[in-house]
Amino acid sequence: MKRAFYIALIVLVFTGVTSAQTGVKKKRPLPYEYGKAVIGNYSEKAGLAPVVFDHWLHRAKFTCRLCHVDIGFAMKAGATGIRASDNMNGYYCGTCHNGKKAFDGKTVFDTCEKVFAPEGKARCLRCHSLGKNVKAEYDFNKFTENLPRGRFGNGVDWEKAEVDGLIKPRDFLEGISIKRQSLTAQKDFALGTKLEGMPDIIFSHKKHTVWNGCELCHPEIFVGVKKGTTKYSMTEIFEGKYCGVCHTSVAFPLIDCQRCHTKPVQ
Amino acid sequence: MKKLRTCLICFAVAVIVCSGTQDIEKKTFSWCGVVHAQDGWKNEFDDVCSKTQDAMIFSPDELRNLIARCDKLKPLVEKLDETQRKVFLKRLQLCRDLLLFVLESKEKK
Repeated sequence: MKRAFYIALIVLVFTGVTSAQTGVKKKRPLPYEYGKAVIGNYSEKAGLAPVVFDHWLHRAKFTCRLCHVDIGFAMKAGATGIRASDNMNGYYCGTCHNGKKAFDGKTVFDTCEKVFAPEGKARCLRCHSLGKNVKAEYDFNKFTENLPRGRFGNGVDWEKAEVDGLIKPRDFLEGISIKRQSLTAQKDFALGTKLEGMPDIIFSHKKHTVWNGCELCHPEIFVGVKKGTTKYSMTEIFEGKYCGVCHTSVAFPLIDCQRCHTKPVQ
Repeated sequence: MKKLRTCLICFAVAVIVCSGTQDIEKKTFSWCGVVHAQDGWKNEFDDVCSKTQDAMIFSPDELRNLIARCDKLKPLVEKLDETQRKVFLKRLQLCRDLLLFVLESKEKK
């Protein structure tokens, strides 16, 4: 009896230690999974699986600003509350996914329908695919094979891909976007770090405005009107605040330290 | 006499229908006015929110004026159907917030 008790105790302690080692560790997403957003506000009620949205495909074709400002998608998955009727009315996903709009000589498939034919169900699955075995039209490895390599995230250096002209993200959609003056980017500036020996961050407005414009970041993400007024820590950033809004989810991840901390230590 | 009266009535109706309301806030009924109002808010929205890219070049007074125009637009956008309301309220908010952000930034300088 005593022996059985000790064995049970050892097993319990061992499993406890093992799960403590592995249970809390956040799994790093695979390159094709990085930036994946799952949206399921109303899907399950309608008898469909939640939508799986791949950022990698869309970000290669459109700027962040186009979707998150002009089309009006919130920055957090599920926060927009997209309904099928919104798409059918030509908003949100339905802005492009309407069976008419064409990009790169390819017509974009239509989104939701009020009553769909049995063959239409296969189309629903193209987006409503969480937990389903759906073959995507675009293969991640094939799509990214000629793009410059990045160390983390999608394994793609999207910034370089844009600079080299390998991708040309659109920033304007006829009938949706507003014609604007081209942006005069603010100057780059350095942000001091709190750790001795850690290189300062050189923040480039130019690099960010190519993708984001102004109103995507100000004031919702960066509220301080004067440099240095908002104090933020790496802990907060890792929690998904400030730079972490994008750099924990879609843009290159925070573990790629040298991409931000670039100023040589004096 | 009857013909003349019919003609006058027709003319009056035509004038009312086609005159439209120039001021989108007037609630006078007019088909052209309704169309004008529908187009009006969108034109006004496009005009105000097209200026976010170069918000830094505006003076504080110009920025205040743009923010006031955003505030005037809000009740009009709130009258739109559910989807449009959701989309354009968010877009208007982003636009107004940025203009206010730039204004505050200039005033603090």
